[in-house]
Amino acid sequence: MISVSKLLCGLDAEGDGLRYDAADESEKPQIREDKQRRPVVVWNTTKQCNLYCEHCYAGADDGCAPGELSTSEGERLLEDLADFGVPVVLFSGGEPLVREDLEHLVEYASDLGIRPVLSTNGTLVTDDRAAALRDAGLKYAGVSVDGLRETNDAFRGQDGAFDAALRGIECFQDAGVKTGLRYTITERTAPDLEAVVDLLYSEGVDRFCFYHLDYGGRGVPDADLPPDEKREAVRRVCDMTREYHAAGEEIETLLVGNYADAGFLVEYAREEMGEAHASAVREYLRRNGGDPAG
Amino acid sequence: MHAPADRVTVAERPRADDGTAFEVFVRDDVDRPLRHVGSVTAEDAADAYERATRLFAWYADDIWLCPAGDFTRFTTHDLDDDAEQAPTDVSGFDGGDDYEEPRNREWS
Repeated sequence: MISVSKLLCGLDAEGDGLRYDAADESEKPQIREDKQRRPVVVWNTTKQCNLYCEHCYAGADDGCAPGELSTSEGERLLEDLADFGVPVVLFSGGEPLVREDLEHLVEYASDLGIRPVLSTNGTLVTDDRAAALRDAGLKYAGVSVDGLRETNDAFRGQDGAFDAALRGIECFQDAGVKTGLRYTITERTAPDLEAVVDLLYSEGVDRFCFYHLDYGGRGVPDADLPPDEKREAVRRVCDMTREYHAAGEEIETLLVGNYADAGFLVEYAREEMGEAHASAVREYLRRNGGDPAG
Repeated sequence: MHAPADRVTVAERPRADDGTAFEVFVRDDVDRPLRHVGSVTAEDAADAYERATRLFAWYADDIWLCPAGDFTRFTTHDLDDDAEQAPTDVSGFDGGDDYEEPRNREWS
């Protein structure tokens, strides 16, 4: 995960200490004061999902995977992770809100000192569940939207999914849970990238995570952008971030899932911002080990 | 000197729900033992070999692959709700604390 807004625009964020050993430079409360090498753990709590997205790396559908962890097994997993010093657990799936014990597991993680965060399609969120998750200690909800209404609903296999996701984002925001966008860049979704950011920023979202396609499940290479178009999409994320910041709009943008982004960011900074900025970007990346998960 | 470990069974559930999980063992060179390096999910052994050589073992002398479901596993880890106590045979010894591992090899 690379923070484009940090590296190109110097944006303060609560993940700076965790990611770039830059807690001292930030005025935001930090997830971790010191850089550490413990992993951020993504727990795919279930394979069940109410949607059927074209790109799903988990191949999620309406059935459970064999051996999904029960509530008590999940508690023991979280205890193991806490003992190991894992700083963050991302509850994912499938769709984690399908699990009725999600609030309990979030609270269990929080009580163990783990920062619980959520990856969801947003369509099953209600005001009550958002409030319950907040009360359980949820610190962040990443909601997947992959394009404007037409693109998103075709991609996600269900009419109305776009509007439902936006309602979900509103529920989390009303409950006071920090909320961000998860956007998978594919051949189908790339054209809508800036328009979705513009729309969600107007709705109060200021954190945007862009994921490269993960080749697993239904995420097959054929759905991916060819390399030149992928570089162009990453360049657009960089350009857009700088344009927002130049206008005084401090959005946080991140790139996830392609190690080559680290090199691209250095070269982008060299071309667009000069040698000194490129060296600073390279140093931040070196501190974080390039482009690690989390 | 160690007490016998208190192990439980690991329930036999598929490791992958699409394809088969294969455990991968490699021997770096002729003087070394096989060691477990990870697992891959594949359609069959030939596919697993291709994935294993790409991920783990392009340098190794030997690669052994085994479908994960063909292993019978015992562990001290207590995650599994359905785990059952695995018997530890300490017959002939008074007290587990005095039990000495009958054969102990350490690989450097």
